Formats: sequence, structure tokens, C-alpha cells
Amino acid sequence: MKRKLLPLLLALSMVLALAACGGGQSAATPTPEATPSAAPSAAPTPEADPTPEPAPALSGTMKVVATSEDYVALFDVFTQETGVKVELLSMSSGEVLSKLRAEGGTPSADLWFGGGIDAFMSAKEDGLLEQVTFDASADLADTYKDADGYWFSKGITIVGFLVNDALAQELSLTAPASWADLTKPEYAGEIIMSNPAVSGTNYAVVNALLQTLGDEEGWTYFEALNENIAYYGKRGSDPLNKTGAGEYAIGISYIDRGVEAQAQEKGLTIVYPSDGIPWVPEGVAVFKNAENVEAAKYFVEWLFSSDENLRMLADIDKKDGAKLVKPSLEGVELGYDTGILMKEDLSLFGSQRTEILERFETLMGDKAADE
Amino acid sequence: MYLDLSHLKKRFSEKEVVQDLSLSLERGQLLCILGSSGCGKTTTLNMIGGFLTPDGGRILLDGQDITHMPPEQRPVTTVFQSYGLFPHMTVLQNVIYGLKFRAYSKAQAREKGAEYLRLVGLEGYENARIYEISGGQQQRVALARALIVEPKLCLLDEPFSNLDAALRVKMRQELKKLQRDLGMTMVFVTHDQEEALILADYMAIMEKGRLVQYGTPLDIYHQPADSFVSGFLGLDDLLWQPDGSVWKVVKKEVKGESPC
Amino acid sequence: MNKHGTSAPPPRPQGGGDRCGSAGKGASLDALFRLFGRGADKLVLLTLLGLVCLFVLVPIVFIVLRSFRGADGLTLEFYQTVWQQYRDNLWNSVFVGVCTAVLCTLFSVAAALFLATRQRWGKLLCMAILLITMVSPPFVSSLAYIQLYGRRGWITHRLLGLSWNPYNCWGVILMQSISFVPLNALFLNGMLEKLDTGSLQAARDLGAKPAAILRDVVLPLLGPGILVSLLLSFVRSLADFGTPVIIGGRFSTIASEIYLQLVGYSNLEKAAAMNLFLLLPSIAAFFVYRALMRQTDRLAQAGRSRQEALQLPLRRCGAAGVLILAVSLLFFLAMVLQYGCIFLSGFLRSSREGYVFTTQYLKQLFTYDRSTMLRSVGYALIVSLAGTLLAMLFSYYMERRRVPGRHFFDCLVTLPYMIPGTCFGIGYILAFNHPPLKLTGTAVIVLANMLFKQLPTTTKICSAALAQVPTSLERAVRDLGGGQWSVLRDVIFPGLRPAFLSCFVYNFSSSMTTAGAILFLISPGRKLAVFKLFDAVQVGEYATASLIATTIIVLVLAVEGSVYALTTLGARRPAPKRS
Repeated sequence: MKRKLLPLLLALSMVLALAACGGGQSAATPTPEATPSAAPSAAPTPEADPTPEPAPALSGTMKVVATSEDYVALFDVFTQETGVKVELLSMSSGEVLSKLRAEGGTPSADLWFGGGIDAFMSAKEDGLLEQVTFDASADLADTYKDADGYWFSKGITIVGFLVNDALAQELSLTAPASWADLTKPEYAGEIIMSNPAVSGTNYAVVNALLQTLGDEEGWTYFEALNENIAYYGKRGSDPLNKTGAGEYAIGISYIDRGVEAQAQEKGLTIVYPSDGIPWVPEGVAVFKNAENVEAAKYFVEWLFSSDENLRMLADIDKKDGAKLVKPSLEGVELGYDTGILMKEDLSLFGSQRTEILERFETLMGDKAADE
Repeated sequence: MYLDLSHLKKRFSEKEVVQDLSLSLERGQLLCILGSSGCGKTTTLNMIGGFLTPDGGRILLDGQDITHMPPEQRPVTTVFQSYGLFPHMTVLQNVIYGLKFRAYSKAQAREKGAEYLRLVGLEGYENARIYEISGGQQQRVALARALIVEPKLCLLDEPFSNLDAALRVKMRQELKKLQRDLGMTMVFVTHDQEEALILADYMAIMEKGRLVQYGTPLDIYHQPADSFVSGFLGLDDLLWQPDGSVWKVVKKEVKGESPC
Repeated sequence: MNKHGTSAPPPRPQGGGDRCGSAGKGASLDALFRLFGRGADKLVLLTLLGLVCLFVLVPIVFIVLRSFRGADGLTLEFYQTVWQQYRDNLWNSVFVGVCTAVLCTLFSVAAALFLATRQRWGKLLCMAILLITMVSPPFVSSLAYIQLYGRRGWITHRLLGLSWNPYNCWGVILMQSISFVPLNALFLNGMLEKLDTGSLQAARDLGAKPAAILRDVVLPLLGPGILVSLLLSFVRSLADFGTPVIIGGRFSTIASEIYLQLVGYSNLEKAAAMNLFLLLPSIAAFFVYRALMRQTDRLAQAGRSRQEALQLPLRRCGAAGVLILAVSLLFFLAMVLQYGCIFLSGFLRSSREGYVFTTQYLKQLFTYDRSTMLRSVGYALIVSLAGTLLAMLFSYYMERRRVPGRHFFDCLVTLPYMIPGTCFGIGYILAFNHPPLKLTGTAVIVLANMLFKQLPTTTKICSAALAQVPTSLERAVRDLGGGQWSVLRDVIFPGLRPAFLSCFVYNFSSSMTTAGAILFLISPGRKLAVFKLFDAVQVGEYATASLIATTIIVLVLAVEGSVYALTTLGARRPAPKRS
């Protein structure tokens, strides 16, 4: 009975699929996989038979999951130069990783663009990433790339404090100058940070401080800090938004030129902690077994080989970390002295992640239970 | 007079549903308002019950002007055509519901409820659910519920119209007996002339919002006001008892001419 | 003419003309069904059950299997850790669920009574508010709550000068309660419209004052509806992750922890185990609901809808009446404020000096996201039509035909209602990422997920409508020679006409507004409006989020309005003239 049913179901789902595309596409650009059986002369579509075929290396569509849709300008240039269409979807790195694991080795995207490096490290460990080798990778600083070529960095995110001037004045708080300051009792209930499980930036804070202070002193520090934290946001943008709206006086947030502009507009002071700035590279990687691996691989090479492309990226990113990634890059200057960046061993970011987050969860939970 | 309707008027938008209706009734009597559908009989009943406010005229009950009294304050209860029983309550809870608003203790109410259930022949059904009993039994529950609060006047709005023929005849006799035994004053609305003639002490025949004739069944039998009345009643078919009350209505097999 | 003439099963040999051709489409389908006879009917049924198994059972089985999958072989470790780690969260979930159910039902009953007792304009206004607020795009309501009542809220801070912490469990309970009200209130209002006026009159006649009528008659008769409201709100609250994520602060429920597991720890096994953990109270609630509904079904009266207002002056209903008036007015005010805040936020830009009016977000939206919006509408239309058809057929086979195993399928179809959307989405990825059923990355997976997530509700609507269609009509069709297809076409579908609109409206607005299930199913190039909305909320672009929400609301109302107009105008036929 089941055997008879299957073709019917397939036929039905095909009809649905076709109808779906017809309905949804009145203004959208045509997607290749919408016409699986039509036009055999067209370039091989991602869903077509994957048997090796001497097709031109670059064709079809490259599907990208990125942290922001602002990158569309960069990908537009890529499309112009290579003819590969790009479809962009913004997703946080945690979501990407969950989706990857659920898909069980048949990813629905080709390129992973942006997001905390710890997620990339986990993905590499799970064997979900594709190795990429290209000549220009030699120009990239070793710190910011995977030795085996499974992931690269497109820049780094740095972390600082945001202080809402009006609220601080109202509460007569002086702006904290260092990580050590944050544990002062006067800031109780006025600091907001994101849950390090969700926010790669705030995970970098935890890992970097633990590395700097050492395990014992580090955890004592976070226990003290926990007393002052109002709550741990479940979105990476919470600290910026909540301090911007004047709901909390101090936020632990990523800082880039976009944040600087918002700080100007909303009356926030940006503090670079004097005892060191935690940082985290933002990854770029190609998914293993992806439908258009070739295009994605080429994109990585295309991006890092050309200074012009990297400059455009730095412009969109509104930060200068690309200079660190590729020291030979010209036209981008760091807005800060590398000396204030904390010393971090990135290899520990991936290996310690589960352990650290688990411990942090217990620590957060203790406070939650008090309420 | 115990119940006195004088010059009642009611109109819905442009239509005059009740036009200048006046009639009166002695205590302990049963009045039947008879007419075809749309004649204004139910509207009249609703004005007496307080669910409609007359546009003109007055209703006196036991010397008290109740024209503008809300239904919950009137010493009048109604047995509705659809019974209006509470489906979420038991038979007993339904029957004693009205006592909640009349200084009865729970125990007293139960006792009285049992008494009235006995009166309508529903002993043993106290804890039955409404949807578990038959239509005739539901009718009795509605009756007991209306009578238990000892109203000055009980209104019945075509109460037997949902019952089958045999049951209707039986209920008629029971109602008449109950009314006599309790000395209850009742106004009974129906479109069934047989029912009216058998039950009524007085009859009011309505047509198109007007009172056409008012009197005892015997009076009307002897002196129908016009051809409409005699035609409507089919007066040839009555059998009378020696005491002057109607004993039976015989349906004619062949449609005869209406006597003028 | 002999009535048996038409009922003779074998088609009579026709000498000359082919009469089938001239009789139109209905007849040719008829012919098809006659050709296949009982086979066609079986085929439809099997397809239906096959689809349900494929798109409900299979993904759930995959989730269950995943929750037992350890590094080497089967394991119970995830259940052990979940039980140890999340007992408090389970308690939180149940606590919030119970509070929300009670509070929401209180609001809903009050709002429904208020609506039912209004005349003309008041009724129209309340109805409009409920219909608009029934379209509830995710997350933005919570953002509006912070905007209005937060530490710097327009009302709490600017107006009243308060500074308090809105991020706690009471905020979650309040927001969930308020956002579930419109659907419940409209449902209860429907019951009130069908309330037997006889009972009300009788109570009044026996001396009951309005307060007593409310207490002794109206509320008890609303009983089944109140129960439904309680249990559905409870289950919905358990599965809702958006509200606790945004305004829970340090307070978290199982649903928000599942979300955190997925986006933070990417631990599918644990998330799957937690989901099944959450299913326990949901299923318990569902069985209570079923048992109680069977009892109270008999109370439900198949009355006709009244158009006029319910005769129950709330002002004279004593303390309960005052409470109802106060609660409902407060509710309607809160709704107006909340939605006003959402509409307004799309056009305001905050700066150091305060708020500035701007249309920049609107321009951005119309430049970059028109295709996304249109795709959303297209998907929603497909889901609405296919979903409604499926629900009608399914309810017909379950209610009217003694299909073996119908109880099993009935339960199966209800399951997606109880599973948090994110998890149902993950189940789809797990189940459909390999040939021969590789659907990931296609539109089908998104459409099917939406459709089957909504099917529990639409089949319930259809079953309720079917209960009003007398079986004698079906027998009449069979008696006069019609087959199963004729029964469907001439009795069941016309009888389900009122349900069609409800199903369509529900499907359409749900498809436009539910985010949970499809967050993980969307593929690049197939963005939907809710995804865009979720993204904007994530990044903190509240103005954009509000604007998308507003657009969604406007689109939903426009489409539903036109469908309503089409169906009612189509149904209205010229009345036969009397001489």
C-alpha cells in the first residue's frame, strides 16, 4: 500500500512546489530550482543529478547564510564578475549550526559568512565544513585562520561598554573604566549583557577574561559580575538596544562604526575597558557537501585575494578588523592600538565552549532562582 | 377585576401589532387568547410578562399597575413555548430556581420542589438532567418551575405545541386540573381552537391585532360575533357536558359549510 | 418519472448523443468517480492519511529518535540531564501556563460579554478591534509592551514617572494573556450569539436580577467555551517562546530554553528531549479537554445566531458586572494602545532630542522587501486553500465515515498544535533532508509545515460545522442514487461553507504571522515577511519590525476582507419572488 502511495505523494508535492513558486514569485527573481525538470540545456541546477559533469566551474546560484543582509552589495559585485547568482539569508551562527546538524550533511546553503568563530570551530569538529585552499591565503595572519583551511576570518569584533549618559546622570553613576569596575555594587541591576550561548561577542568576553584572569579568579569575577547584571539578553543586540532606549545604564556590547553612529544619536558613551578589549574573529567557511561548493570556494578566494573586495567589506562592516586579518591590506587603518586587545588563545574558544557555557549557565541560574 | 388590560397598544416599526386591546379576568380563571399566527397574541402575552413595554395603555394586576415593571419584579411567571429550561441544571434545580429570589432556605426550597414535582407527576426525577427526559416531562418541569413561586398570574405561551397529539390531550387535562386545584389565574395563548375551548374559562379571539370576541366558550358558541369566529372555531363539532363545559371536539371528516 | 431511473448504477447504453459532455465540470468529475467507483474514494482517503502520516508522524518520530541518540547508540542521558536541569523551568512553564489560561479566559469572557451586549456602533468598533488584533505578528507585541510600560515606557515613565522592571514572569503572563484574547473572545461571542434566549427570559421571569442571570445562566452555559479557552490558552502558552525570550528577563520557560538550546548550544538531542518533556503537560491538558468536551457537548445548543445584542445590562450586574466592564474596557484600551504603538513605531526615529517622524523605513521596506511580502501572501494563499480543503476532507472522513483507526489519526493531527513551532520545524529538517524525500530548501517543506501546524485548528472548525449537517441529507443523496462524490459535493462542501471562511481566515493569518516553525526551514532566496520581521527584531531594528508587522496586518485584513466579500456576495442569490 505504501509503495503505491509514494509516487502519488511525490507527484502531489511537485504540484504544490510548482504552485508555490507561481504564487510567490510574481515579483521575485526566478530561482533555478523552481523548474527542476524543464530546459535540460540550462546550466545544471543544484538539484540536478550530482554525477560529475564537465560543467563550467562557476554557475547556478550560491546560497549564503550571513549575519546581516547588508552584505548584499558585496555579493552583487561577485555576481557581476562571475555570473553566479547569490541568495542571502541572515541567520545567527547558533541557528546555522543547529540547522546544519539537523540537515545531517546535506546543507541547504553553500557559504557561511560571518558569526563568532567558536561556532565555526564546532562545525569543523563535526566535519560539516569544506577545506578551502588558495594561494593568497598565505597573506593572511595565522591567528585568524584555521591552519587546515576549514575557516577564515573576515574581520574581528571587539567588545566595549556602552553607557547611557542621561540615565547614568539620573542615577549619579560614573562610567566604568575597566572590567574590574563593573563589579562595583553601585552598578547593581544596571548592567546588561547577552547570554554568551547566544552571542559570540559575549562568549568572547567570558573566554578572554577567563584566559586573562585564570580560571579561579575568572569565575570569581563572573560571580561578582552576575550580581550586577540585570538580565542576560537572549539576542546579541540586546545590550545595544536596551542602553540605547535608556532602559539600562551600561551594556556590554560589540563596538563598530555603526554602534558609534548610534551612540552619537542616542547619547551613549563608548568605553574601551582599560584592562583589555576582548575580541573574536568573524568566520567565513564553505559547507561540506553543499550544492554549489565550487562557487563558494571561489568566493573565499575572490574575497581574500583582492584588496579592493576586502576594503568594500570593511566598509559594509563598518570596522577595520580586516587589516588585522590581512596585514598587507592597504586603505584600511585600524582605529585602535592592537596593544589594548586582550591576549587570547583562539584554539581554546572551540574546545572549552561546552564546559564554559555549562558553568556559566549554572551561575546565571542561581540568580534566576532567587527571583 | 383581578387582571385588567386597558387600551394596550404595541407597534413594531410601522406595523401595529396590538391595537387598543382591553380585557379583564377574575381571580382563579383561565383565559385563552386564541388566534392564528401573527394576530398579536404572543405580543400581548409578552406585554403582560414584562418582556415588551406597551406603547400605550395600562396593565393592572390585583389592583397594582405593573405596566412598566421589569419582568423580574412582576408577580407573573411564564411557561415558554421552547420551555427555556436551564440545560446545565438538574430537574430539581430548575424547578426551585425561582425560590432563590424569594426568602427560602435551601432545605425549604428542596421540600417545596419535591412537592411540586409530585404535583406534575415527576417524582423520582429530581436529579435527572434536562437532556435525559422526554419532551412531555420537560414541559412539566417548566410548568412546575413557573408555578412553584406562587405567582399572581401564570402565562403559558403555546406550551403544548411541541408535543404529539396524544400527549397534548393528556397534558391539557392535567393542566386544567392543576389550575383548578391551585386556584391559579392563567393566561394561555394558543392557535389551537380545540385546546382553547377545552381549557378556557374565558376566551379572547384575536385577529390582526384586534380583539374580535371575548366571553366564555359557551357564550361564544351560542353567539359567535361574526363569520370569522364561527369559521375559525368550527363550532358545529362540539360536544358539551351537562355542566356546560366542553367535553370533546369532533373533527369532521368532510368539510362542512360554516354556519352563519 | 420513475425515481429509480437515475439511481441505476451501470450507465445505460446511450444510443446517440453523449450527454456527459454538455453537463459541465461537475459532471465530468462525477464521471471520473463513477469510473473508479469506490476506488476513487479509497484513493482520496489513502492520500489524505498518507499525507498526515508523512508530514506529522514522520517528523515527530524523527524528533523522538533524535532525543535518544547518543554518541554511541541509544541513550537516556538527555532525558536525565533535562530532568535534572530543567525541572524549575518546567514548573515555570506550568505556572505561566496556568496563570495565562486563567487571566486570558477572564479577559476573553469579559470582552465577549462586553461585545455581545453592545449595540450597533459600539459592537462594530469592538468587533473591529478584535479582528485587527487577532492578526498578531510575533514579537512586536512584546516590543510594544516594553515601549509602553517598560523602564522608559511611554506610559509608565513619561506619563506616570515610574521606573520599574518589566522583565519578569508577570510581564510574560500579561502579554501572553492579552495576545490570546481576540481569538478566544470571538469564539465565546459566537457562543453567546447562539445562547438560548428562552433560558435568559425564563430566569428573568422567575425573578432573577441581571447579576443572577449572569451567574446562574449565562456563565454556566458558556461553560464549555470557557473550558476550551482555558485549555487552549494553557497549551499555547506552554509552546510560546517569543514572549519569554523578549520580556522574560531572567525568567525562562521550557519553550524559551528550547529556543536557547537551538540558537545557543545547537544541541538538537537535548532540545528534542525537552520538547517531549513539554509534551507531557500539553497532552494531559488535551485529554482533559477531550473528556470534558464530550460531557459538555450536550449542553451546547444548536440555536440560531441572533443579530441583536444580548439583553443583559452589565451595569446592573453587581460586582461581577463592574468587573467585566472594567476588565473589558481596560483590555480594549490596552489593545488600542498596543497596536497604536506598533503602527506609530514604524514611522518614528528616536534620537537624543526625542522622536522624529520619518518615512525612511517605509521607503526601505518598499524598495527592498516587496518580493518578500508578495511571496508571503502567495504562500499564505496556497496554505489557506490547500489547508482548508484538507481540513474539510479530513473532518468528513473522521466524523462521517467509520474509518478504521480514526481515533489514532484524530490524535495524530492534533499533535502539531502542542509542539513548539521551532521543534516541529527541526523535525521537518530531520525527516526530509535525504532522498527520496529531500524537501529541504524547497518551498514544499515550508508550505507543508505551515499547513500541518494549522490543521488541528481547521479540522476542529470543520468538525464543528459538520455536526450541524444532518446525516439524513447524506442518506437522501445516497438514496436518490448519488455516490460518495455526490455526497461530498452536494451535502458536505455546501454544509461546510460557513467553516470555509473561518478556516481560510485562520490559515491565512497564521501563515502570515507564525515564525517558530519556519525559522529553520526558510532557505536563502525564499524569505518570508515573518522571517524578515524576526530578523529585524534580532538585530534590534524595531522601527522596521513594527513596519513589517503593520504591513502584515494590513495585508491580512485586505485579503481576508476580499475573501469575505467574495464568499458572502457569491452566496447571496436573488430571493425568489412571490406573486
